Amino acid sequence: MFPGFRFLRQRGLLGMNSRNADYIMVYNPRSAFPLADNKVQTKQLALKFGIPTPDLFYVVENHGSIARLHRILKNHRAFVVKPARGSGGSGILLIQDRTADGFITQSQRVLSKDAFNNHISAILSGVYSLEGLEDRVIIESLIHPDPIFNPVAYQGVPDERVLVYRGVPVMAMVRLPTRASDGKANLHRGAIGAGIDLGQGLTLSAVHKSRIISHHPDTGNPVAGIRIPHWEKILYLAALSKDMTGLQFLGADFILDRERGPVLLELNARPGLSIQMANQKGLGHRLDQTDRAAPEIFLNPESRVKWAQEAFQ
Amino acid sequence: MTYRIVGLGYPVFPTAPGQTWQLQINALVTPLEKECVLSLALPLDRPGNLIIEENVFSGPYHFSLQREESNRAGIWTGSDITGPEPITYRAIILYRPNRLVRKEAPGIGSYPLSIKKEEQALLEKLTARWTRLSPIARLSAVSEALQGRWGGSIPGEEELRPWHDLQNKHDRTDLILAILTAAGLPARSVQGVRLTEGVQTGLTQWIEIWTGKKWEALKSETGELYKTPVPLLPLVVGTFPPVRTTGGDLTDIRWMMSRQVVSQWKLHYEDIIRSDRILNRWSLFRLPEEFQQTFRILLLVPIGALLIGLLRNVVGFPTFGIFMPVLMALAFRNTGLVYGMSIFGGVLFFGYLARRFLDRIHLLLVPRMAVLLSLVICSFTILALLGNQYGLRQFMAVGLLPFVILTMIIERFFILIEESGLKEALLTSAGSAAVSVITYQIISWEPLQLSFFVYPELILWVAALQILLGRYTGYRLSELIRFRNFRERV
Repeated sequence: MFPGFRFLRQRGLLGMNSRNADYIMVYNPRSAFPLADNKVQTKQLALKFGIPTPDLFYVVENHGSIARLHRILKNHRAFVVKPARGSGGSGILLIQDRTADGFITQSQRVLSKDAFNNHISAILSGVYSLEGLEDRVIIESLIHPDPIFNPVAYQGVPDERVLVYRGVPVMAMVRLPTRASDGKANLHRGAIGAGIDLGQGLTLSAVHKSRIISHHPDTGNPVAGIRIPHWEKILYLAALSKDMTGLQFLGADFILDRERGPVLLELNARPGLSIQMANQKGLGHRLDQTDRAAPEIFLNPESRVKWAQEAFQ
Repeated sequence: MTYRIVGLGYPVFPTAPGQTWQLQINALVTPLEKECVLSLALPLDRPGNLIIEENVFSGPYHFSLQREESNRAGIWTGSDITGPEPITYRAIILYRPNRLVRKEAPGIGSYPLSIKKEEQALLEKLTARWTRLSPIARLSAVSEALQGRWGGSIPGEEELRPWHDLQNKHDRTDLILAILTAAGLPARSVQGVRLTEGVQTGLTQWIEIWTGKKWEALKSETGELYKTPVPLLPLVVGTFPPVRTTGGDLTDIRWMMSRQVVSQWKLHYEDIIRSDRILNRWSLFRLPEEFQQTFRILLLVPIGALLIGLLRNVVGFPTFGIFMPVLMALAFRNTGLVYGMSIFGGVLFFGYLARRFLDRIHLLLVPRMAVLLSLVICSFTILALLGNQYGLRQFMAVGLLPFVILTMIIERFFILIEESGLKEALLTSAGSAAVSVITYQIISWEPLQLSFFVYPELILWVAALQILLGRYTGYRLSELIRFRNFRERV
């Protein structure tokens, strides 16, 4: 038991208890949590800071406005439905197209209008929200993902997670959907996590269901060595999200849009630890290294990104 | 807590098996005359033993107590009684051999009347060789001499011969008392019962000697010293007659000793109830009985919570919520472990099926939970009715299961299966069940219940441990598995 622990410590792995007590509780002020948990608030803030996010079509506040929603949706064929305070990607519905009396999801499932309404109601009554409280529904534009990941994404949209500590991007990964994950980019649902070299934005090793892999299980293409476009911008936006929210330990999720480049999808005030598996590196060492950095690098997002790219190649 | 133990003499350990004895004296008296009186020596609170409870069954006799110096007698008086009547006396006695403390030394007694002046002189001459020894060494020298061993100082023939004559001439007890008096050791003869389980038809006699700090005991017949703690319970000190009947015939008398596993809590109950000390007045024992039971359990609940914390933060095992396992454990007290667990499993299984069905008719969260709640209560009712039909009390006790929590567990269970798969959901259920069982075992463990009841401040220790746990930022055991990839690569 203890040799095992010592080994984890040597590798600089960050454990759940340490993440909670030493980082989240110390660096994330409670009052800033809603800025990350509530996607409506995140969107509004992002707008203010010039961080691109998916276009907001409508926010369903209560059951009464579902009828209004349908009038607004008449103008949009493709859109995304998500709970404002959802977690782990639950409750998100990607609508690709519509039929006469229903919707077609990204995974080619046909959803009747009743089922669609029911889903909206479920979100409103808090089925997917973090604390089970009543929630709001965000209707936003569907992202058209950059084709760069097409060879290694099975349906769904891959997203990039950047872990930001005190405004410095310390680790990143790209999450690739698989058949098992039903097009969702969540590792615990079976998506692939591939580590990213912060310096150049090249994908490294990958982990699928806690096994190290080199090729995508569904498409068979190699996962490593993909150069992510707009990498520096992603890092910059991630670094900026600290100034935006005041959260010093956060995970920023981006999607690469074909036209717009990186788009901030959501922020997470309690970022998971799987990113360590995707990178096959412990976070602890990088966090310590950041703490030891010269104070002047923390001055602005640009200097923080520059330092990180040199430090965490 | 320290004050309670040191200042108020609370027990350190809540139970003290074998320290408590029940003495029962049974006697059968057949009256021969109109007036019949039986006098029996009864135990007395002495340093070293404490009487907790006494019962007397006197039949048609009138019972009274008589105190005489350091002895106590129960007097049964009867008139116009025909035929033999049984009499019973019963006492629960706490035996505390380590409390044989007496501050004032007793004076050296006078020689027994049967010992003549010249004999006294002889004994004094014999014991003169030990005068410089400490009381304890002197006592063991006397004890050795009584067994015929004189060590390095064998007296001459002119002393030894009269000593042997003396031994043959006098009553053994008198002789021992005399030689002890000559040696300057305060001594007294004592009669009592042996602290061994079983029936004794007569009393045992021994000699007690004061050695400056406590009484030592010496076997009258052999002159050997008893090892401490002395396995004897004194009933009579000095020449007081242990049993005496007038106007009647004592057909049968026996002293029965049996060990009692009585918690010290019970022993102190009386003390605490009577005492006016502030901590005693504020003790939980002063609560009405029906509430005491509640608090005995309540005080242990934090331990359950501590366990859950350990399991989640140190082991990394998932449970449903924080308090659910504790509430389940509380419910198990009424349903029993086996029934409780099977009901838990059953509710989870059928609840899951019901929840699956409800998922198809697309109900909103709150109404859906309400439907589930109704179903849970409905099945509880059916179980209770079944229990009544087949005489299974445990089934009727299901009503005490935390039904609201169970309903929420069904919902969580369903969502867990949907989101993370059956394995995760079953693991979480197993984790919850395990914690409930462990918590149940803990809260049912009486010594612990009593400890916390006597010292509610122990809860602060639990809180301290909880704080310590809260500051544990090390790895979880489960993270050894989670991060095992890192290990394989080296």
